[in-house]
Amino acid sequence: QEVTLRLHQFLPPQANVPKLVLDVWADSVEEDSGGRIKVERYPSMQLGGKPPELMDQAIDGVADIVWTVVGYTPGRYPSTEVFELPFMMTNARAASRAYWEMFEKHMKDTEFKDVHILGTWVHGPGLIHANKEVRKPSDMEGLKIRGGSRLANALLEKVGATPVGMPVPAVPEGLSKGVIDGTTIPWEVTAALKIPELVGNHTEFTGNALYVLTFVLAMNKDRYDSLPADLQKVIDDNSGLEFSIFAGGTQADSDGPARQAAADRGNNIVTLNAEETAEWKAVAEPIYAEWVAEMNEKGIDGQALIDEARMLIDKYTE
Amino acid sequence: MSNLELGFMSFPILLIMVFLRAPIGLAMLLCGFAGWYFAMGGNPNVLLNKLKSETYTQFSSYSLSIIPMFLLMGQFATLSGMSSSLFKAAESFLGHRRGGVAMAAVGACAGFGAICGSSLATAATMSKVALPELRRYGYSGGFSTATLAAGGTLGILIPPSVILVIYAILTEQNIAKLFLAAFIPGIMAAIGYMLTISFYVRLNPKSAGTRPPQPMSERWAALAETWPVLVIFGLVVGGIYLGWFTPTEGSAIGAAGTGLVALLSGSLNWSVFRDSLLGTAKTTAMIFFIVLGASFYNSFLALSGVPQFMADWVLTQGFSPWLVLSIILIFYLVFGCLMDSLSMILLTVPIFFPVISAMDFGMSPEHVAIWFGILVLIVVEVGLITPPVGMNLFIINAMDRETPMTETYKAVMFFVGSDILRVIILVLFPAITLFLIPG
Amino acid sequence: MHNAMKLLARGTAVIGGLVLVGLIVLTTLSIIGRSLNKMLHSDRAESLMGGFAQTLLDLGIGEVNGSYELLEAGVAFAIFSFFPVCQLYGGHATVDIFTSRLPARVHRAIVAFWEVVLAAVLILISWRLYEGMQRYIGNGETTLFLQFPVWWAYAASFAASTVTCVVAVYCAVMRVGESLSGRILLPTA
Ligand code: NA
Ligand code: NA
Repeated sequence: QEVTLRLHQFLPPQANVPKLVLDVWADSVEEDSGGRIKVERYPSMQLGGKPPELMDQAIDGVADIVWTVVGYTPGRYPSTEVFELPFMMTNARAASRAYWEMFEKHMKDTEFKDVHILGTWVHGPGLIHANKEVRKPSDMEGLKIRGGSRLANALLEKVGATPVGMPVPAVPEGLSKGVIDGTTIPWEVTAALKIPELVGNHTEFTGNALYVLTFVLAMNKDRYDSLPADLQKVIDDNSGLEFSIFAGGTQADSDGPARQAAADRGNNIVTLNAEETAEWKAVAEPIYAEWVAEMNEKGIDGQALIDEARMLIDKYTE
Repeated sequence: MSNLELGFMSFPILLIMVFLRAPIGLAMLLCGFAGWYFAMGGNPNVLLNKLKSETYTQFSSYSLSIIPMFLLMGQFATLSGMSSSLFKAAESFLGHRRGGVAMAAVGACAGFGAICGSSLATAATMSKVALPELRRYGYSGGFSTATLAAGGTLGILIPPSVILVIYAILTEQNIAKLFLAAFIPGIMAAIGYMLTISFYVRLNPKSAGTRPPQPMSERWAALAETWPVLVIFGLVVGGIYLGWFTPTEGSAIGAAGTGLVALLSGSLNWSVFRDSLLGTAKTTAMIFFIVLGASFYNSFLALSGVPQFMADWVLTQGFSPWLVLSIILIFYLVFGCLMDSLSMILLTVPIFFPVISAMDFGMSPEHVAIWFGILVLIVVEVGLITPPVGMNLFIINAMDRETPMTETYKAVMFFVGSDILRVIILVLFPAITLFLIPG
Repeated sequence: MHNAMKLLARGTAVIGGLVLVGLIVLTTLSIIGRSLNKMLHSDRAESLMGGFAQTLLDLGIGEVNGSYELLEAGVAFAIFSFFPVCQLYGGHATVDIFTSRLPARVHRAIVAFWEVVLAAVLILISWRLYEGMQRYIGNGETTLFLQFPVWWAYAASFAASTVTCVVAVYCAVMRVGESLSGRILLPTA
């Protein structure tokens, strides 16, 4: 082959995203290039650093391509947070599609100008897993919960819970030893972390999801620019809108089996109806205004982003 | 040259630099620099950019912050008089036997190891207390220094242990479980050393004196004096295992606890306190420079694909897992004669661990990881007392200038023998190590 | 000159050590707070103490949340401040077995050579740390939990790192001097 691309990310190779999304992408690129591109895969931060540095590694060329959680670098890509607002997303395909469109329109040449973005997506609906049944926002009072992001933590504070910061791999031990009472993650991740064995209650919402995280697959800009036009085309054809929808959708599709596993164990899965969900939405509502104010300080029209994201997500939600 | 060839070429270069007295951390950093430089086709930018965050990231690690905390805990423990109360207690029970004072020194080392994460600190601290006593009761020079050098290794074999923390981080294993797994092998080590002592004094009756036994009441009184050690060990290791707190939090509690005991014992004035900070500082910087160099070098090795290549190669050869394990352990024993234990672990575990993980020992992957970790821990610790380069030997000989190094070398071989015997037992019976580990 | 360097290196290490002690106290308090919080939440506390348990909880007795971010930033600073004293006292791990058999003059030259290389590498590290700090000043990244700017932590570490550079250069000059003059200029205690 003539081009070797180093793909660096933080999960072990057998986890869902590396196996079902990144490997698929990489294999497809290798194949479409007729073997001229080889994607070397470095899981589990093998090339050094901690997950928050992945984005800089792509910018600097330490890795050619990285997959990362945008929220690992709070404050740097504020616009993406519009999708992480509580009760914003509906399903991962619609939200990932809206995310890509808004990325192209608002973020590509501003916040993400230092990297070449290959895909933007969100995971399936995030929900609450706790050691007691949670129905009303007030049920959360006094619970110590690991939140997945800055805005998830803000939401936890609004409902009277104590957001606890800890890395994902520490969650199982935290739960089993009672350091935390619960965590907010999508179903897909629960299997690997053995969450259903550690807590018996899961609270889902109807319609809009409690929260999600945003991801990007990012490539070093110079590396992309240095590729011959035909190989750039191979990369392009495998990336962008279609890929983003595929990635978000695939990740969300892994939710089902994981949920089933929890149900099979006889765990208590509470699905709040629209009315009950509305109660939570009302509690979360002030976060929107606070976020808009924060964005205004950064010179970003937060309200316009919210309106547009809502409009697109509604449009793409069947 | 391919990246793989670069990776393989870096080994001899690294060794040459180390043997030419380059600081070990520096040698690994330089190899890492050169590796990334050449792998990027002679472009220094990636390397320079990587360095922007590499140092801060390595040093701002939640899990590695255990290390300075355990080191400070060891410093405080030294000040607080725990080492002498431990020795007195052990001596009151064992001192009248033949070789009993030496056995007591080993017992006290085991006790001190339970609150100290470092072998060197254990060796140095216990030597201060026990060496004069050993000499007073007519123990020969080499036998005394060798006993304390070997006893010092209990500092790391008995949890808490800095080396196990590093191994846990490198292999993504649970620190609490590794600490627990080290417990029985650590006790076996202490017993093994005591048996070695009784064997040695039978062989060389002139090398040890005796003294009359103490009344039981005095023995129990001396034992009661050691309660702070028990409390702190129980709190730190027990608390970590029971999940009251993370290992990092446990190390903080341990440091705070020993600090408090030192304060209450009245020995902690400002200049003593400052010296314990300086002692911690020097060792911490030494360790973290090696950690930094190793992490940079290891990221280059991952880039070159050497660990993957080695694992694949060993698998395709169809070697028996037991043969591979034996070769790795012998490698550590041989290299341990020359290298220090921390650098060996940092350098080799990223290469050997994938190899071992890929093999079938008829155990769960977690059990293999824990068992292998304890075996590696023991064999690298043997390196601290194998001639010619054994850090524990150096430290103790520096404290006892009258004893020629060769005397120590001769006597210590008995303890090395007991170590090797123990390794063989633990290899043959993994259940001993895994006995306390659930599922 | 040597006394000034000693003061600088030891002073920096003591400051770092005090930060470490501060983190130990913070972490310990956090654990005590967490345990008390758990106890006060229990049914037994409620029956024994009644409303008082809730009053204590309302006072905010509990874990120092986000303390792990302070720990990470603080311990990085502490470690950077520990380097000068390690440097000054020749504390880095080396394998002396082969070189110690060489003639003293050759041995001293080797020691001096590595000391110079080490100083150069430490300066390189410091310079890159500075660039890293610049990047975080520019990009507005904060920590996840306490949301303080990441560059603050870099700045503290960089300050300690400059002391390391000063001491490292001093040590390198002295070792070269030792190698040329054959006299010991840099005591290692
Ligand atoms: Na220990
Ligand atoms: Na040795």
